[in-house]
Amino acid sequence: MGDAFILLFTWPNLAFLFAGTALGIVVGAIPGLTASMLIALTLPLTFHMDPVSAVTLLIGEYVGGISGSLITAILLRMPGTPASIVTTFDGYPMACDNRAERALALGILASVVGGIISWMFLAGMSPALARFALQFGPWEYFTLVLMALVMLAALAHSSMVKGLLAAVLGMAFALPGIDSSTGQARLTFDQDLLLSGFGLLPVLIGAFAISQILRDAAAPVSKKKPALPKSRLPIYWSDAKVHGLNMLRSSVIGTWIGLLPGIGANIAALMAYTTAKQVSREPERFGTGYEPGVVAGECANNASIGGALIPLITMGIPGSVTEAILIGALTIHNLQPGPLLFQNAPEIAYGIIAAYLVANVIMLALMWGAVKYIARVAQIPRAGLLGPILIFCVVGSYAINGSFVDVWVMIAFGVIGLGLEAARVPLGPFVIGFVLSPIAEEQLRASLMMSDGNFWEILQRPYALLFLALAVLTMFWPVFLARIRNRQGVLKNERA
Amino acid sequence: MEHSRRQSREMTADLVLAGLVAIVAVVLLYGAASLPPPRFDPLGSAALPRALAVLMLIFSAIIAGRAVLHQKSSDDEDAAMPDEDVTSAASPLRGLLILVALVVYVGALDFAHVPFVPATTAMMTVSGLVLHRADLRTGLLFGAIGLGLALALGYVFTHFLYVDFG
Repeated sequence: MGDAFILLFTWPNLAFLFAGTALGIVVGAIPGLTASMLIALTLPLTFHMDPVSAVTLLIGEYVGGISGSLITAILLRMPGTPASIVTTFDGYPMACDNRAERALALGILASVVGGIISWMFLAGMSPALARFALQFGPWEYFTLVLMALVMLAALAHSSMVKGLLAAVLGMAFALPGIDSSTGQARLTFDQDLLLSGFGLLPVLIGAFAISQILRDAAAPVSKKKPALPKSRLPIYWSDAKVHGLNMLRSSVIGTWIGLLPGIGANIAALMAYTTAKQVSREPERFGTGYEPGVVAGECANNASIGGALIPLITMGIPGSVTEAILIGALTIHNLQPGPLLFQNAPEIAYGIIAAYLVANVIMLALMWGAVKYIARVAQIPRAGLLGPILIFCVVGSYAINGSFVDVWVMIAFGVIGLGLEAARVPLGPFVIGFVLSPIAEEQLRASLMMSDGNFWEILQRPYALLFLALAVLTMFWPVFLARIRNRQGVLKNERA
Repeated sequence: MEHSRRQSREMTADLVLAGLVAIVAVVLLYGAASLPPPRFDPLGSAALPRALAVLMLIFSAIIAGRAVLHQKSSDDEDAAMPDEDVTSAASPLRGLLILVALVVYVGALDFAHVPFVPATTAMMTVSGLVLHRADLRTGLLFGAIGLGLALALGYVFTHFLYVDFG
């Protein structure tokens, strides 16, 4: 770990981490633009970079993107990313009550505390979890991927069927190309262009950036102007006593929610907020500009990043779309996330952990010093942002292989993404299905080859059975829950 | 009224989605049919496409079924449904125009081999006119931004990343 910090503090890596965090904060502060979109857009640039520099840049963008969104959540009641929706509940009323500076100060402090506490879990758990995951064989990996996909699809959206459909569609779009097991062309329909399949980056940029731009272009224009902070950000030593327990609790909730695939920073923030309200002596003050509300949400959403990075680096399982893109970034550099990452590329595995901590510190310094100026970004007209981003998308996709085929693929997936969102099909499981499909198929085929085609061998693998059982439970949990609620309702009615 | 209109839109979207997914499933099954049987491993290349196609058909049937049933039940509720304020001021035309401009821009670069700088300047001008305001001043401003952006991107990509835009 010490070596990772030493490597991180060399000038190019630190500069990339600083630049990534700054860029992430600015993009996160702009409603409509998300961290995943920024990371997808910068991926083509990382082709030419050293893997450690690439990873530090992307981690910085991730941390900055989630943190920056609190600015517009507080000042405009327009969260830059869904992770800060909860912050609007109390942050905006505080801003309306001439306490914008205090809300921003608490939000920034809570974000950093959440980040640091989840870093402790990340640094403490990851190496041990990776050693444990070394026992896994193809059956375990296949069922783990299956479990992650089912959880992502089932929990990421209100309609489980649509979530599962999104995952299946994503997997289907990963099929065309050369089958890595047999070397045969599959689903190419005699088109040479399809032999290499759909590239990960054009798909990511299309699904996240292009569809988002087209949606933003069609969306109504907001005339809101942010109430810029006028004085310095007030923070006191007594805040440690007043908010310390809430920060600790919310950070732990955020980390553990982040660990579970598919739940994400917004749900982590909501759960921490609800818990803070439940244990509070003044629950009625939540939602009216109450400081613990801002603290709970911001601690949890930042802590969820550290939690989500744990399964990513130890098992190669993405907890959310952003982690799926990070897996793509590692694969571009011929790195396979998973337990072997700690053995084969320790500078990357520990580099991610170190970069996450330092990014939080950089985020604190940047946001504390420049929040007034970052808030002005929200005043830039939409046309001034969307046009250049569109050009970046085209240039970035073209730069991958120097071919316009990738650009057309990007546009096609942009339209597909837009269509899916219009039909209320979540894009997260779609992209994660696309990323995980080759891994799932490869592991299943390897498992069956090892067991001479006997699927029931899975019964002799306890961890594989556990993952499978969890996947099944996740699928049927909403049905159980609905039945329990129905029964409770009937009992209540009978008693009444 | 707006509520029932929204529900009707959602139902149509669900039915269109189910139809398109079913088409993708059929394409998958058609493609999988031409793949050889398993030789080197018990599963073979065609197993996953077939499995996914079956899942897609099942999900699309569920979505279509739900959409139709939901519509029937909401028709019954509709009489008692109060009108809600129309709040949306979105303009799908703006999104469509940007998409068309993007396709024309990439087509011009790819097929007509229009140089990167003028094409990008024109694209930025159009995006400014569509998204901001359709007047001469906006056109000139965004044209200038586009020119600067194109020159900067062209320079960085050609000199540092060794990518030439035709």
